[in-house]
Amino acid sequence: MRFITLALLCLVIACGDSTGKGGTDTPSAAPKKIFQFMRQEAYKSLDPVKQFDGASAELIQNVYDSLLEYDYLSRPYRMVPNLLTKMPELSADGLTYSFELRSDVRFVDDPCFPGGKGRPLVTDDVIYSLKRFAHGSLNVKSYTLWQGAVQGMNEFREQTQKGADMNKLDIAGIKKIDDHKFTITLSQQNPLALFPLAASQTAIVAREAVEKYGAEFEQHPVGTGPFKIKTLQRRGVTILEKNPTYHGTYPSEGEPSDEATGLLAARGKKLPFIDEIHLPLIEEPQPAMLKFLSGKMDWVAMDRDNFAKMGFKDEKGFHLRPEYVGKYEIYSAQMLTTEYWSFNQKDKLVGKNKALRQAIAYGLDIPTMLDKLENGRGVAIKSIVPPDIAGSERDTKADGYSHNIELAKQKLIEAGFPGGKGLPPITIEYRASTTRTRQQFEWNRAELAKAGITLLANFQTFSAYLQRIESGNFQVGISGWQADYPDAENFYALMYGPNKRPGPNEADWSNPEYDKLYEQSRFMPNGPERFALFARMNEILREEVPAIVTYTQIACGLRQNWVKNFKRNVMIDVPFKYFDMDPAAQAKGIQGAK
Amino acid sequence: MLAYAVRRVLYTIPVLLGVALLVFLLFNTVGEDPVRVALGRHATAQSIAELRAQWGLDKPVPLQFLDFLGQIVTFDYGVSFNSGEKLSKLFTQGAAVSLWLTVPPFVVGFVVNIAFGLLVAYYRGSFFDRFSTAILIMTMSISYLVYIIGFQYFLGYRLELFPVSGYEPGFEGLKYLLLPWLIILTVTAGEDVRMYRTMFLDETQADYVRTARAKGLSEPAVLVRHVLKNAMIPIVTYTMVAIPFLLMGAFLMERYFSLPGVGDLMISSINSGDFPVLKGLTMVLAIAYSAMVLLTDLIYAWVDPRVSLR
Amino acid sequence: MTEPTISQPIEHVSPLRRGLRQLMRRRIVQFSLVVLALYVLVALLGIVGLLPDYQERVGTGYQPPSFDGGIAVILGTDVFGRSVLYKILAGTRTAMLIGAMVPLIAVPIGVSLGAIAGFYGGKIDAFIVWLFSVISSLPYILIVLAISFVLGKGMVAICVAMGLVGWVGLCRLVRAELIKHREREYVLAARLLGASDAVLIFKHILPNVLHVAIITASLQVLGAIKSEVILTYLGVGIQDGSSWGTMISDASGELVQSIWWPLAGVVTAMFFVIYALNVLGDALRDALDPKLLDR
Repeated sequence: MRFITLALLCLVIACGDSTGKGGTDTPSAAPKKIFQFMRQEAYKSLDPVKQFDGASAELIQNVYDSLLEYDYLSRPYRMVPNLLTKMPELSADGLTYSFELRSDVRFVDDPCFPGGKGRPLVTDDVIYSLKRFAHGSLNVKSYTLWQGAVQGMNEFREQTQKGADMNKLDIAGIKKIDDHKFTITLSQQNPLALFPLAASQTAIVAREAVEKYGAEFEQHPVGTGPFKIKTLQRRGVTILEKNPTYHGTYPSEGEPSDEATGLLAARGKKLPFIDEIHLPLIEEPQPAMLKFLSGKMDWVAMDRDNFAKMGFKDEKGFHLRPEYVGKYEIYSAQMLTTEYWSFNQKDKLVGKNKALRQAIAYGLDIPTMLDKLENGRGVAIKSIVPPDIAGSERDTKADGYSHNIELAKQKLIEAGFPGGKGLPPITIEYRASTTRTRQQFEWNRAELAKAGITLLANFQTFSAYLQRIESGNFQVGISGWQADYPDAENFYALMYGPNKRPGPNEADWSNPEYDKLYEQSRFMPNGPERFALFARMNEILREEVPAIVTYTQIACGLRQNWVKNFKRNVMIDVPFKYFDMDPAAQAKGIQGAK
Repeated sequence: MLAYAVRRVLYTIPVLLGVALLVFLLFNTVGEDPVRVALGRHATAQSIAELRAQWGLDKPVPLQFLDFLGQIVTFDYGVSFNSGEKLSKLFTQGAAVSLWLTVPPFVVGFVVNIAFGLLVAYYRGSFFDRFSTAILIMTMSISYLVYIIGFQYFLGYRLELFPVSGYEPGFEGLKYLLLPWLIILTVTAGEDVRMYRTMFLDETQADYVRTARAKGLSEPAVLVRHVLKNAMIPIVTYTMVAIPFLLMGAFLMERYFSLPGVGDLMISSINSGDFPVLKGLTMVLAIAYSAMVLLTDLIYAWVDPRVSLR
Repeated sequence: MTEPTISQPIEHVSPLRRGLRQLMRRRIVQFSLVVLALYVLVALLGIVGLLPDYQERVGTGYQPPSFDGGIAVILGTDVFGRSVLYKILAGTRTAMLIGAMVPLIAVPIGVSLGAIAGFYGGKIDAFIVWLFSVISSLPYILIVLAISFVLGKGMVAICVAMGLVGWVGLCRLVRAELIKHREREYVLAARLLGASDAVLIFKHILPNVLHVAIITASLQVLGAIKSEVILTYLGVGIQDGSSWGTMISDASGELVQSIWWPLAGVVTAMFFVIYALNVLGDALRDALDPKLLDR
């Protein structure tokens, strides 16, 4: 019987040899460019109007197209035409946009088309897709992104909710002119109205596919995007392959530094360059990192633990440790996120005691926390808008709270709790129960204890957190928000009175002056006038402290040497179509890693 | 015998009803709220109401339970909230992977561990016995999670004997399963071998063994010809009841090695409040478990008629 | 006729005591008892608050074990500079508490329900059998997770959850024993003599079943400590950083950075106590099992 075990061992070692180091093990005539990456979460749906999660959006953005997209290389992030010949033109009264579709966009080949051949994309497809977006039963998740912006859309939605057939109904504000031209009329002047057209939820689908596949359409995308699905396994390996009839070309402009770093070498070339993308589902960070380090993966995001091993931060930025220089490349990019602490205005203690909230704000030491706990992969902020968006503290010169224990103690006295005497412990609600949240809590607990403030924590799952916040039964909630689109309004909305629970205004805070300023500023174009309003709004937020803004995250990761055209873009997230690679180098793999 | 069989089958019905009730109560009333998980911070009162209605969560609770009972009877558990896929498809896909993960080491382990148990029982009291027992207890004293993390790091990454993670269907995918199999064998060896050893030793106390020895039969022959056969009843009972849980895979393993099996599906469903999947999976498992227990009881009754007279 | 006299009293040593005495002579058992006693001592110290504070930062960040720097850094430090040794001691307290609480919940429930079911039979028996059949049909992790959702996080919650699931095995065994014993002569005799049900169950039958309870309890202690690790990984259970499960969970990311000492420390600590419990459980089983006693 021991022989069985011995035999098994031999088998094991024999197989072990075949795994080897480096790239793929399928030899072929012309080396195929196969990009090895991963998914961290299983997608929910590949039907654009039925999803609102990152994992789904990542795939949708690569197999479908939206009318607009974010420019790959330019910063600050701005929209550029994708399916259009140029950006939409606004009429004189500021209400109607005119769109002109490109004539070289084709749907991929699929059995749902006659003869199995894909066909060109036309205006009818756009209108069909936008109707699906507005449909009352089809889209229950993301309609809020564009709610009320387009004339007649809300009415269309109500009708479809009552059961009307969307093919017999029209949206008043969307008019077809011909197969490549159409207009969209807004219900009011609104410069933000175009942003949803760059989102995955308004991607253009083919009616034939929806009608043929019915319930299966969610797993059977038929799009115009740079890739198509070769293998779809929700929890296994999903493989994308190149769409040979894709219309896109590599951008010709970017940031000033892009020319020097070779990011513009491919300007004007037809996309995509990669032949195949392999996306296994890897839910744990450790196996992902191990895979990358052995050269079997081409790109990996780094969490705190992995970063500490591979890199370090100094005043000049993020760098690889000397032993890895040359083996991999490191990158970093500020995200468009804000982390903040919400104070429940209805709470008897923190809601009614402004000085107490200010004391807590002074007590927090965010820059050191970011250094110690996140290896500096975050930047402390003073305004609720992330620094990379117009209207942030760069433009408004907003002031926040810096760590100052003395001032914290003073404020505590003002609050009626000198030295913390008589102050009951304050409970903080966390929206996840991970190593990271635990450690952040322990850090903050130690810091605030220095001022005499005692903290308790409640770690829970995300939906439990949401339910708790909604019930109004909490003191402090640790919140975060990621930009839906790169405009400051998306963040100031978080403090707008009418957005109270269950909306994103978790604190249930409302201030009449702030609300008025918000309404004034929301549709203004960026410029000194708007920023002046923002500055005043920031002052109010600072004084009243309905929330303490803490930091913006920095995305940091590694890529292999053989990956080209790589630039981290936080609005696109997985810009596979621009990447290029050297398959020979990939096959050779890492020399002497570890 | 037939009467007994019928009684036993009828008896499983209240048990399954109890399971359905428990599952329903636990996950509908406590667990995650799938609507909030799906909408996150973009929720508005209106979108919450609309999504609840779409998923049938706005119906009164007793009605939802009745719907659930109907689903059980027709074996149609509906579609997943998360992916819209039919549960039958999710389950068969996941079960294929999970079974590939758990069945081979189960079978190999069964054979190897029984053989080893016999060996240890034969040499009971000797240094070999005590040494093996010590080693086995040691393997049982390390957490499953530590095995996964440790083996993956050392054998997969540092020594490169196995791929770190991944999955491929078919024969080429076997190499991804070798390390998980090794871990499962290591983790279960301790408990199983010692369980079998005890069962063998129990048998060796029986009269018929003394008789056989008195007849002059050699010890190995006694072991193999008599003890093994008779010990098989308790062994098989012990083993059969574990079979339904093979379906669930080993969720920790599946997460760390990126194997898209049923165990991992269950855990992510719990985390996102995907009720249809949860309810469907647990019911399928409960039915399989009840079926296996029933089968075991019936075989017992057939083998030992005294049982059915109760 | 003279009455037979007994020259010296027959020393009646019950098989139980004989078995236990034999058990105590084996070295490995003695060693295990010492180990267990040590862990219990640490746990007791922790309960009265005499253990060093594991939250205290004795260093600035990850530091490998070193011999110069005092006892705090002898096993190295973690990301915050907290002593790995202190964290392990705090984890010992948690583990021992869990190991004690779970059987304390599961065993009484299992024994009483099993006794009632086996003794009375009929509808009560049917109900209890139904109850444990339902619970056995579901995967362990699922139920414990679900109950933890109800009860919230923290030590008490998962102990109750594990206890509410763990009584099943013992209940089955006790019930089977009760069924076997209730027809025996000594029970019928006692009943004729007027003993009440309660007396019958507790004074006469259960002592014969005690060994099963003890063995199961020892297995439960083990199982609870090991399950806590998995439950903490899944996000329920102890959240304040003072458990072994937390340390193992964190270790996953640390190994990639070649930081091995927290994992090594906690694995060693767990290893010794689980090993000791295994040995003691085995020895108890050998000593108490009536079948083997008739050797």
